[in-house]
Amino acid sequence: MKNMLYKEIKLVTHPTTLIFLSLSAMMLIPNYPYYVTFFYSALGIFFMCLNGRENHDIFYTMTLPIRKKDIVKGRFLFVIAVELVQLLAAIPFALIRRTFTIPDNEVGIEANIAFFGLSLIMLGLFNLVFFTRYYKDPNKVGFSFALSSIIIAVYMILAETSVHVIPFMRDCIDTKDPQFLFPKLIFLTAGIIIYICTTYLGYRKSIKLFVALDL
Amino acid sequence: MNVLSIKNLCKSYESFNLNNVSFDIKKGTIMGFIGRNGAGKTTTLKSILNFVHPDSGEILFFGKSFSENEFEIKQKLGFVSGGIDYYSKKKLRTITNVTRRFYKSWDEKAYDEYLKLFKLNDNKNADQLSAGMRVKYSLALALSHNAELLILDEPTSGLDPVSRDDLLDIFLTLCDKGITILFSTHITSDLEKCADTITYIKNGTIIASTDINTFTSKYKLVELTKEQLTDHIKPVLIGYKRSKSGYTAIINTEDSKKINVKCSDADLESIMIHIEKE
Repeated sequence: MKNMLYKEIKLVTHPTTLIFLSLSAMMLIPNYPYYVTFFYSALGIFFMCLNGRENHDIFYTMTLPIRKKDIVKGRFLFVIAVELVQLLAAIPFALIRRTFTIPDNEVGIEANIAFFGLSLIMLGLFNLVFFTRYYKDPNKVGFSFALSSIIIAVYMILAETSVHVIPFMRDCIDTKDPQFLFPKLIFLTAGIIIYICTTYLGYRKSIKLFVALDL
Repeated sequence: MNVLSIKNLCKSYESFNLNNVSFDIKKGTIMGFIGRNGAGKTTTLKSILNFVHPDSGEILFFGKSFSENEFEIKQKLGFVSGGIDYYSKKKLRTITNVTRRFYKSWDEKAYDEYLKLFKLNDNKNADQLSAGMRVKYSLALALSHNAELLILDEPTSGLDPVSRDDLLDIFLTLCDKGITILFSTHITSDLEKCADTITYIKNGTIIASTDINTFTSKYKLVELTKEQLTDHIKPVLIGYKRSKSGYTAIINTEDSKKINVKCSDADLESIMIHIEKE
Protein backbone atom coordinates (compact mmCIF):
# COMPACT_ATOMS: atom_id res chain seq x y z
CA MET A 1 0.00 0.00 0.00
CA LYS A 2 2.98 2.34 0.50
CA ASN A 3 3.50 2.13 -3.28
CA MET A 4 -0.05 3.36 -3.80
CA LEU A 5 0.55 6.24 -1.40
CA TYR A 6 3.77 7.08 -3.26
CA LYS A 7 1.82 7.10 -6.52
CA GLU A 8 -0.83 9.39 -5.02
CA ILE A 9 1.84 11.86 -3.89
CA LYS A 10 4.02 11.81 -7.01
CA LEU A 11 1.35 11.65 -9.70
CA VAL A 12 -2.16 12.40 -8.48
CA THR A 13 -1.85 15.09 -5.82
CA HIS A 14 -2.58 18.56 -7.11
CA PRO A 15 -0.26 21.23 -5.63
CA THR A 16 -3.24 23.09 -4.18
CA THR A 17 -4.11 20.04 -2.05
CA LEU A 18 -0.82 20.55 -0.20
CA ILE A 19 -0.94 24.35 -0.28
CA PHE A 20 -4.38 24.27 1.34
CA LEU A 21 -2.84 22.51 4.35
CA SER A 22 -1.23 25.85 5.25
CA LEU A 23 -4.73 27.31 5.57
CA SER A 24 -4.88 25.76 9.01
CA ALA A 25 -3.34 29.11 9.99
CA MET A 26 -6.78 30.64 9.42
CA MET A 27 -7.46 29.78 13.05
CA LEU A 28 -5.62 33.01 13.79
CA ILE A 29 -8.20 35.18 11.99
CA PRO A 30 -9.96 36.97 14.84
CA ASN A 31 -13.54 36.53 13.60
CA TYR A 32 -14.16 33.75 11.12
CA PRO A 33 -16.23 30.58 10.55
CA TYR A 34 -13.31 28.21 11.17
CA TYR A 35 -15.08 25.25 9.54
CA VAL A 36 -14.09 26.87 6.23
CA THR A 37 -10.52 25.68 6.89
CA PHE A 38 -11.71 22.10 6.53
CA PHE A 39 -13.84 22.97 3.54
CA TYR A 40 -10.52 23.75 1.85
CA SER A 41 -9.34 20.19 2.69
CA ALA A 42 -12.41 18.91 0.84
CA LEU A 43 -11.66 21.28 -2.06
CA GLY A 44 -8.08 19.97 -2.23
CA ILE A 45 -9.36 16.38 -2.33
CA PHE A 46 -11.73 17.33 -5.14
CA PHE A 47 -8.83 18.88 -7.12
CA MET A 48 -6.87 15.70 -6.64
CA CYS A 49 -9.69 13.52 -7.99
CA LEU A 50 -10.21 15.97 -10.86
CA ASN A 51 -6.49 15.83 -11.67
CA GLY A 52 -6.70 12.03 -11.65
CA ARG A 53 -9.59 12.08 -14.10
CA GLU A 54 -7.87 14.48 -16.50
CA ASN A 55 -4.74 12.31 -16.46
CA HIS A 56 -6.48 8.94 -16.83
CA ASP A 57 -5.22 7.86 -13.44
CA ILE A 58 -7.65 4.97 -13.11
CA PHE A 59 -6.58 3.49 -16.44
CA TYR A 60 -2.90 3.80 -15.51
CA THR A 61 -3.46 2.32 -12.06
CA MET A 62 -5.52 -0.56 -13.44
CA THR A 63 -2.55 -1.65 -15.56
CA LEU A 64 -0.38 -1.96 -12.44
CA PRO A 65 -0.21 -5.23 -10.51
CA ILE A 66 -2.81 -4.37 -7.91
CA ARG A 67 -6.38 -5.43 -7.23
CA LYS A 68 -9.13 -3.06 -8.33
CA LYS A 69 -10.23 -2.43 -4.75
CA ASP A 70 -6.68 -1.31 -3.87
CA ILE A 71 -7.29 1.82 -5.96
CA VAL A 72 -10.03 2.83 -3.51
CA LYS A 73 -7.96 1.81 -0.50
CA GLY A 74 -4.98 3.90 -1.62
CA ARG A 75 -7.14 6.96 -2.23
CA PHE A 76 -8.90 6.69 1.14
CA LEU A 77 -5.62 6.30 3.02
CA PHE A 78 -4.20 9.38 1.33
CA VAL A 79 -7.36 11.41 1.91
CA ILE A 80 -7.44 10.46 5.60
CA ALA A 81 -3.78 11.52 5.85
CA VAL A 82 -4.56 14.91 4.24
CA GLU A 83 -7.52 15.51 6.55
CA LEU A 84 -5.62 14.55 9.69
CA VAL A 85 -2.60 16.67 8.74
CA GLN A 86 -4.95 19.63 8.15
CA LEU A 87 -6.48 19.05 11.57
CA LEU A 88 -3.18 18.51 13.39
CA ALA A 89 -1.70 21.58 11.69
CA ALA A 90 -4.63 23.64 13.01
CA ILE A 91 -4.01 22.66 16.65
CA PRO A 92 -0.92 24.89 17.21
CA PHE A 93 -2.81 27.89 15.85
CA ALA A 94 -5.76 27.13 18.10
CA LEU A 95 -3.32 26.94 21.02
CA ILE A 96 -1.89 30.33 20.06
CA ARG A 97 -5.41 31.76 20.27
CA ARG A 98 -5.80 30.25 23.72
CA THR A 99 -2.38 31.34 24.98
CA PHE A 100 -2.65 34.96 23.89
CA THR A 101 -5.63 37.02 24.82
CA ILE A 102 -7.26 37.19 21.43
CA PRO A 103 -10.89 38.41 21.62
CA ASP A 104 -13.72 35.87 21.23
CA ASN A 105 -14.75 34.79 17.73
CA GLU A 106 -17.91 36.81 17.04
CA VAL A 107 -18.80 34.96 13.84
CA GLY A 108 -18.95 31.35 14.96
CA ILE A 109 -17.58 28.76 17.31
CA GLU A 110 -14.25 29.23 19.11
CA ALA A 111 -11.30 27.17 17.80
CA ASN A 112 -11.58 24.83 20.77
CA ILE A 113 -11.65 21.09 21.49
CA ALA A 114 -15.36 20.75 20.64
CA PHE A 115 -14.78 22.55 17.34
CA PHE A 116 -12.27 19.88 16.30
CA GLY A 117 -14.79 17.16 17.12
CA LEU A 118 -17.48 18.95 15.10
CA SER A 119 -15.00 19.42 12.22
CA LEU A 120 -14.24 15.70 12.19
CA ILE A 121 -17.97 15.02 11.78
CA MET A 122 -17.98 17.43 8.81
CA LEU A 123 -15.01 15.67 7.18
CA GLY A 124 -16.57 12.26 7.81
CA LEU A 125 -19.77 13.44 6.13
CA PHE A 126 -17.73 14.69 3.18
CA ASN A 127 -15.93 11.36 2.82
CA LEU A 128 -19.19 9.44 2.94
CA VAL A 129 -21.11 11.58 0.46
CA PHE A 130 -18.30 12.52 -1.95
CA PHE A 131 -16.67 9.12 -2.39
CA THR A 132 -19.83 7.04 -2.56
CA ARG A 133 -20.95 9.26 -5.44
CA TYR A 134 -17.48 9.56 -7.01
CA TYR A 135 -16.87 5.81 -7.20
CA LYS A 136 -20.26 5.32 -8.83
CA ASP A 137 -18.89 7.23 -11.83
CA PRO A 138 -15.43 8.80 -11.46
CA ASN A 139 -16.03 10.88 -14.59
CA LYS A 140 -18.70 12.88 -12.75
CA VAL A 141 -16.33 14.15 -10.09
CA GLY A 142 -17.79 17.70 -10.32
CA PHE A 143 -21.28 16.47 -9.46
CA SER A 144 -19.90 14.43 -6.56
CA PHE A 145 -18.20 17.52 -5.18
CA ALA A 146 -21.26 19.75 -5.69
CA LEU A 147 -23.43 17.27 -3.80
CA SER A 148 -20.98 16.81 -0.93
CA SER A 149 -20.37 20.59 -0.74
CA ILE A 150 -24.07 21.22 -0.27
CA ILE A 151 -24.23 18.65 2.52
CA ILE A 152 -21.22 20.02 4.40
CA ALA A 153 -22.35 23.63 3.81
CA VAL A 154 -25.71 22.80 5.44
CA TYR A 155 -23.83 21.11 8.29
CA MET A 156 -21.58 24.17 8.74
CA ILE A 157 -24.56 26.53 8.80
CA LEU A 158 -26.37 24.37 11.36
CA ALA A 159 -23.27 24.00 13.53
CA GLU A 160 -22.47 27.72 13.46
CA THR A 161 -26.10 28.70 14.03
CA SER A 162 -26.34 26.38 17.01
CA VAL A 163 -23.71 28.34 18.96
CA HIS A 164 -25.83 31.47 18.53
CA VAL A 165 -29.28 30.08 19.25
CA ILE A 166 -28.92 27.04 21.52
CA PRO A 167 -28.09 28.15 25.08
CA PHE A 168 -26.00 25.04 25.92
CA MET A 169 -23.92 25.44 22.77
CA ARG A 170 -23.53 29.20 23.31
CA ASP A 171 -22.71 29.15 27.01
CA CYS A 172 -20.83 25.88 27.28
CA ILE A 173 -19.40 24.74 23.94
CA ASP A 174 -18.60 28.11 22.35
CA THR A 175 -16.10 29.03 25.05
CA LYS A 176 -12.35 29.13 25.27
CA ASP A 177 -10.48 26.08 26.51
CA PRO A 178 -10.11 24.79 29.16
CA GLN A 179 -13.57 26.01 30.29
CA PHE A 180 -16.25 23.26 30.21
CA LEU A 181 -13.59 20.75 29.29
CA PHE A 182 -15.67 17.63 29.96
CA PRO A 183 -18.59 18.36 27.57
CA LYS A 184 -16.09 19.52 24.96
CA LEU A 185 -14.17 16.24 25.27
CA ILE A 186 -17.45 14.41 24.72
CA PHE A 187 -17.90 16.38 21.49
CA LEU A 188 -14.35 15.51 20.44
CA THR A 189 -14.82 11.82 21.22
CA ALA A 190 -18.15 11.76 19.38
CA GLY A 191 -16.45 13.52 16.45
CA ILE A 192 -13.67 10.93 16.30
CA ILE A 193 -16.15 8.04 16.47
CA ILE A 194 -18.45 9.54 13.84
CA TYR A 195 -15.47 10.35 11.57
CA ILE A 196 -14.22 6.75 11.79
CA CYS A 197 -17.70 5.28 11.20
CA THR A 198 -18.69 7.53 8.27
CA THR A 199 -15.30 7.21 6.58
CA TYR A 200 -15.29 3.43 7.01
CA LEU A 201 -18.85 3.21 5.71
CA GLY A 202 -17.88 5.39 2.74
CA TYR A 203 -14.82 3.20 2.12
CA ARG A 204 -16.78 -0.07 2.14
CA LYS A 205 -19.53 1.29 -0.09
CA SER A 206 -16.97 2.87 -2.46
CA ILE A 207 -15.17 -0.46 -2.89
CA LYS A 208 -18.47 -2.18 -3.65
CA LEU A 209 -19.42 0.44 -6.23
CA PHE A 210 -16.01 0.69 -7.88
CA VAL A 211 -15.43 -3.06 -8.13
CA ALA A 212 -18.81 -3.41 -9.86
CA LEU A 213 -18.12 -0.52 -12.25
CA ASP A 214 -17.29 -1.18 -15.91
CA LEU A 215 -14.42 1.12 -16.89
CA MET B 1 1.29 -24.32 -23.39
CA ASN B 2 -1.46 -21.71 -23.66
CA VAL B 3 -0.41 -18.39 -22.18
CA LEU B 4 -3.94 -17.06 -22.51
CA SER B 5 -7.10 -19.09 -22.89
CA ILE B 6 -10.53 -17.54 -23.25
CA LYS B 7 -13.69 -19.61 -23.29
CA ASN B 8 -17.22 -18.44 -24.04
CA LEU B 9 -16.73 -14.85 -22.94
CA CYS B 10 -20.02 -12.96 -23.07
CA LYS B 11 -20.80 -9.34 -22.31
CA SER B 12 -24.05 -7.53 -23.08
CA TYR B 13 -24.55 -3.83 -23.56
CA GLU B 14 -27.70 -2.07 -24.70
CA SER B 15 -26.56 -1.89 -28.31
CA PHE B 16 -23.71 -4.39 -28.48
CA ASN B 17 -22.96 -7.95 -27.37
CA LEU B 18 -19.83 -10.05 -27.12
CA ASN B 19 -21.01 -13.55 -27.98
CA ASN B 20 -19.11 -16.59 -26.70
CA VAL B 21 -15.68 -15.20 -27.52
CA SER B 22 -13.15 -18.04 -27.33
CA PHE B 23 -9.51 -18.28 -28.36
CA ASP B 24 -6.12 -19.52 -27.13
CA ILE B 25 -2.62 -18.11 -27.53
CA LYS B 26 0.45 -20.32 -27.38
CA LYS B 27 3.69 -19.22 -25.74
CA GLY B 28 6.11 -17.30 -27.94
CA THR B 29 3.61 -16.51 -30.68
CA ILE B 30 2.09 -13.31 -32.02
CA MET B 31 -1.67 -13.28 -32.40
CA GLY B 32 -3.36 -10.55 -34.41
CA PHE B 33 -6.79 -9.65 -33.13
CA ILE B 34 -8.61 -8.11 -36.04
CA GLY B 35 -11.98 -6.61 -36.75
CA ARG B 36 -13.35 -3.31 -37.94
CA ASN B 37 -13.87 -0.36 -35.61
CA GLY B 38 -16.57 -1.21 -33.08
CA ALA B 39 -16.36 -4.97 -33.71
CA GLY B 40 -15.55 -5.65 -30.05
CA LYS B 41 -11.74 -5.81 -29.94
CA THR B 42 -11.26 -3.29 -27.13
CA THR B 43 -14.27 -4.61 -25.20
CA THR B 44 -12.79 -8.10 -25.37
CA LEU B 45 -9.40 -6.89 -24.16
CA LYS B 46 -11.02 -4.85 -21.38
CA SER B 47 -13.06 -7.88 -20.33
CA ILE B 48 -9.93 -10.02 -20.27
CA LEU B 49 -8.18 -7.50 -18.02
CA ASN B 50 -11.09 -6.92 -15.64
CA PHE B 51 -11.72 -3.33 -16.77
CA VAL B 52 -15.26 -4.48 -17.53
CA HIS B 53 -17.10 -7.43 -16.04
CA PRO B 54 -17.97 -10.23 -18.42
CA ASP B 55 -21.45 -11.69 -17.95
CA SER B 56 -20.00 -15.19 -18.31
CA GLY B 57 -16.98 -17.06 -19.57
CA GLU B 58 -13.61 -18.28 -18.38
CA ILE B 59 -10.32 -16.38 -18.66
CA LEU B 60 -7.10 -18.23 -17.86
CA PHE B 61 -3.68 -16.58 -17.89
CA PHE B 62 -0.77 -19.04 -17.62
CA GLY B 63 -3.40 -21.65 -16.70
CA LYS B 64 -4.73 -19.59 -13.78
CA SER B 65 -7.98 -17.73 -13.31
CA PHE B 66 -7.46 -13.96 -13.64
CA SER B 67 -10.10 -13.02 -11.08
CA GLU B 68 -8.47 -15.18 -8.40
CA ASN B 69 -4.84 -14.38 -9.25
CA GLU B 70 -5.05 -10.77 -10.49
CA PHE B 71 -2.02 -9.55 -8.56
CA GLU B 72 0.25 -12.43 -9.57
CA ILE B 73 -0.84 -12.45 -13.23
CA LYS B 74 -0.41 -8.69 -13.66
CA GLN B 75 3.23 -9.05 -12.61
CA LYS B 76 3.77 -11.09 -15.79
CA LEU B 77 1.58 -8.98 -18.03
CA GLY B 78 2.13 -5.81 -20.03
CA PHE B 79 -0.87 -3.90 -21.36
CA VAL B 80 -0.28 -1.18 -23.90
CA SER B 81 -3.30 0.71 -25.18
CA GLY B 82 -1.98 2.85 -28.03
CA GLY B 83 0.65 5.16 -26.59
CA ILE B 84 0.84 6.46 -23.04
CA ASP B 85 -1.99 8.93 -22.52
CA TYR B 86 -1.77 9.23 -18.76
CA TYR B 87 0.07 11.95 -16.88
CA SER B 88 1.22 13.55 -20.11
CA LYS B 89 2.60 16.61 -18.25
CA LYS B 90 4.78 14.50 -15.98
CA LYS B 91 8.33 13.54 -16.84
CA LEU B 92 8.67 9.96 -18.04
CA ARG B 93 11.22 9.46 -15.28
CA THR B 94 8.59 10.33 -12.65
CA ILE B 95 6.11 7.85 -14.15
CA THR B 96 8.83 5.19 -14.30
CA ASN B 97 9.83 5.83 -10.68
CA VAL B 98 6.25 5.21 -9.60
CA THR B 99 5.68 2.23 -11.91
CA ARG B 100 8.87 0.33 -11.01
CA ARG B 101 7.88 0.12 -7.34
CA PHE B 102 4.91 -2.10 -8.15
CA TYR B 103 6.91 -4.85 -9.87
CA LYS B 104 8.88 -7.52 -8.02
CA SER B 105 10.97 -8.33 -11.07
CA TRP B 106 11.68 -4.80 -12.31
CA ASP B 107 14.94 -4.83 -14.27
CA GLU B 108 16.59 -1.41 -14.22
CA LYS B 109 19.32 -2.53 -16.62
CA ALA B 110 16.72 -3.72 -19.14
CA TYR B 111 14.85 -0.41 -18.76
CA ASP B 112 18.01 1.57 -19.56
CA GLU B 113 18.68 -0.67 -22.54
CA TYR B 114 15.17 -0.21 -23.91
CA LEU B 115 15.46 3.56 -23.49
CA LYS B 116 18.65 3.45 -25.57
CA LEU B 117 17.17 1.06 -28.12
CA PHE B 118 14.06 3.19 -28.56
CA LYS B 119 16.07 6.46 -28.38
CA LEU B 120 13.86 7.69 -25.53
CA ASN B 121 14.84 10.52 -23.20
CA ASP B 122 13.05 9.97 -19.90
CA ASN B 123 13.64 13.58 -18.94
CA LYS B 124 10.88 14.52 -21.39
CA ASN B 125 7.16 14.74 -20.74
CA ALA B 126 4.87 12.29 -22.51
CA ASP B 127 3.25 15.11 -24.49
CA GLN B 128 6.64 15.99 -25.97
CA LEU B 129 6.80 12.57 -27.62
CA SER B 130 5.47 11.53 -31.01
CA ALA B 131 2.76 8.85 -31.18
CA GLY B 132 5.36 6.22 -32.06
CA MET B 133 7.65 7.20 -29.20
CA ARG B 134 4.72 7.02 -26.76
CA VAL B 135 4.04 3.44 -27.79
CA LYS B 136 7.74 2.68 -27.42
CA TYR B 137 7.78 4.15 -23.91
CA SER B 138 4.77 2.01 -22.96
CA LEU B 139 6.58 -1.00 -24.36
CA ALA B 140 9.76 -0.12 -22.45
CA LEU B 141 7.75 -0.06 -19.21
CA ALA B 142 6.07 -3.37 -20.01
CA LEU B 143 9.31 -5.08 -21.01
CA SER B 144 11.33 -3.82 -18.05
CA HIS B 145 9.27 -5.86 -15.63
CA ASN B 146 9.90 -8.94 -17.75
CA ALA B 147 6.33 -9.28 -18.99
CA GLU B 148 5.76 -12.70 -20.51
CA LEU B 149 2.58 -11.66 -22.27
CA LEU B 150 2.04 -8.32 -23.99
CA ILE B 151 -1.49 -7.25 -24.75
CA LEU B 152 -1.41 -4.39 -27.21
CA ASP B 153 -4.56 -2.51 -28.18
CA GLU B 154 -4.02 -0.92 -31.60
CA PRO B 155 -0.38 0.00 -30.93
CA THR B 156 0.33 0.89 -34.57
CA SER B 157 -2.73 3.07 -35.21
CA GLY B 158 -1.66 6.61 -36.00
CA LEU B 159 1.95 5.67 -36.74
CA ASP B 160 3.68 6.36 -40.04
CA PRO B 161 4.66 3.29 -42.14
CA VAL B 162 8.34 3.44 -41.12
CA SER B 163 7.54 3.65 -37.38
CA ARG B 164 5.02 0.82 -37.80
CA ASP B 165 7.62 -1.32 -39.48
CA ASP B 166 10.16 -0.53 -36.72
CA LEU B 167 7.63 -1.59 -34.13
CA LEU B 168 6.84 -4.83 -35.94
CA ASP B 169 10.55 -5.64 -36.00
CA ILE B 170 10.60 -5.15 -32.24
CA PHE B 171 7.64 -7.51 -31.86
CA LEU B 172 9.44 -10.18 -33.88
CA THR B 173 12.56 -9.81 -31.71
CA LEU B 174 10.45 -10.11 -28.56
CA CYS B 175 8.73 -13.17 -29.96
CA ASP B 176 12.15 -14.78 -30.54
CA LYS B 177 12.84 -14.25 -26.84
CA GLY B 178 9.73 -16.26 -25.96
CA ILE B 179 7.44 -13.33 -25.23
CA THR B 180 3.84 -13.81 -26.33
CA ILE B 181 1.98 -10.94 -27.99
CA LEU B 182 -1.73 -10.36 -28.48
CA PHE B 183 -2.04 -7.45 -30.80
CA SER B 184 -5.37 -5.87 -31.76
CA THR B 185 -5.47 -3.84 -34.93
CA HIS B 186 -7.50 -3.03 -37.99
CA ILE B 187 -4.31 -2.52 -40.06
CA THR B 188 -4.15 -6.01 -41.50
CA SER B 189 -0.92 -5.48 -43.45
CA ASP B 190 0.90 -5.23 -40.10
CA LEU B 191 -0.22 -8.73 -39.21
CA GLU B 192 0.97 -10.24 -42.47
CA LYS B 193 4.45 -9.07 -41.52
CA CYS B 194 4.57 -10.50 -38.02
CA ALA B 195 1.58 -12.52 -36.80
CA ASP B 196 1.54 -16.30 -36.44
CA THR B 197 -2.18 -16.57 -35.79
CA ILE B 198 -5.19 -14.34 -36.17
CA THR B 199 -8.46 -14.06 -34.36
CA TYR B 200 -11.13 -12.27 -36.32
CA ILE B 201 -14.07 -10.68 -34.53
CA LYS B 202 -17.16 -9.39 -36.31
CA ASN B 203 -20.07 -7.76 -34.47
CA GLY B 204 -18.90 -9.27 -31.19
CA THR B 205 -18.59 -12.81 -32.54
CA ILE B 206 -15.36 -14.64 -33.34
CA ILE B 207 -15.58 -15.86 -36.91
CA ALA B 208 -12.07 -17.31 -37.12
CA SER B 209 -9.17 -18.08 -34.81
CA THR B 210 -6.43 -19.93 -36.60
CA ASP B 211 -2.96 -19.57 -38.07
CA ILE B 212 -2.72 -16.82 -40.63
CA ASN B 213 -1.88 -19.00 -43.65
CA THR B 214 -4.74 -21.41 -42.98
CA PHE B 215 -7.10 -18.45 -42.78
CA THR B 216 -5.95 -16.72 -45.98
CA SER B 217 -5.79 -19.99 -47.95
CA LYS B 218 -9.50 -20.56 -47.29
CA TYR B 219 -10.38 -17.74 -49.65
CA LYS B 220 -9.58 -16.59 -53.17
CA LEU B 221 -10.04 -13.11 -54.53
CA VAL B 222 -12.09 -12.89 -57.70
CA GLU B 223 -12.32 -10.01 -60.16
CA LEU B 224 -15.40 -9.88 -62.33
CA THR B 225 -16.74 -7.79 -65.14
CA LYS B 226 -20.35 -6.63 -65.03
CA GLU B 227 -21.29 -9.41 -67.48
CA GLN B 228 -19.68 -12.09 -65.31
CA LEU B 229 -21.70 -11.06 -62.26
CA THR B 230 -24.65 -13.31 -63.02
CA ASP B 231 -27.36 -14.62 -60.70
CA HIS B 232 -25.75 -18.03 -61.14
CA ILE B 233 -22.43 -16.90 -59.63
CA LYS B 234 -23.72 -14.50 -56.96
CA PRO B 235 -24.59 -17.18 -54.34
CA VAL B 236 -20.95 -18.32 -54.04
CA LEU B 237 -19.49 -14.81 -53.86
CA ILE B 238 -18.73 -13.32 -50.48
CA GLY B 239 -19.22 -9.56 -50.15
CA TYR B 240 -19.03 -8.56 -53.80
CA LYS B 241 -18.43 -4.87 -54.34
CA ARG B 242 -17.74 -2.35 -57.07
CA SER B 243 -14.16 -1.80 -58.17
CA LYS B 244 -12.65 0.45 -60.80
CA SER B 245 -12.70 -2.28 -63.45
CA GLY B 246 -15.92 -4.05 -62.47
CA TYR B 247 -16.50 -6.04 -59.28
CA THR B 248 -14.42 -7.87 -56.73
CA ALA B 249 -15.38 -10.50 -54.19
CA ILE B 250 -13.86 -13.33 -52.25
CA ILE B 251 -14.88 -16.89 -52.62
CA ASN B 252 -14.25 -20.09 -50.70
CA THR B 253 -11.23 -21.84 -52.18
CA GLU B 254 -13.20 -25.02 -52.97
CA ASP B 255 -15.86 -22.98 -54.79
CA SER B 256 -13.20 -21.27 -56.90
CA LYS B 257 -12.68 -24.49 -58.88
CA LYS B 258 -16.36 -24.62 -59.81
CA ILE B 259 -16.56 -21.26 -61.54
CA ASN B 260 -14.85 -19.97 -64.60
CA VAL B 261 -13.49 -16.62 -63.44
CA LYS B 262 -10.03 -15.32 -62.72
CA CYS B 263 -9.03 -16.01 -59.09
CA SER B 264 -5.96 -14.95 -57.16
CA ASP B 265 -4.65 -15.40 -53.63
CA ALA B 266 -6.50 -13.22 -51.16
CA ASP B 267 -4.67 -11.15 -48.58
CA LEU B 268 -6.02 -10.39 -45.11
CA GLU B 269 -7.20 -6.92 -46.09
CA SER B 270 -9.28 -8.07 -49.03
CA ILE B 271 -10.72 -10.94 -46.98
CA MET B 272 -11.68 -8.56 -44.20
CA ILE B 273 -13.17 -5.97 -46.56
CA HIS B 274 -15.36 -8.50 -48.34
CA ILE B 275 -16.41 -10.37 -45.20
CA GLU B 276 -17.50 -7.08 -43.67
CA LYS B 277 -19.56 -6.34 -46.81
CA GLU B 278 -21.47 -9.58 -46.33
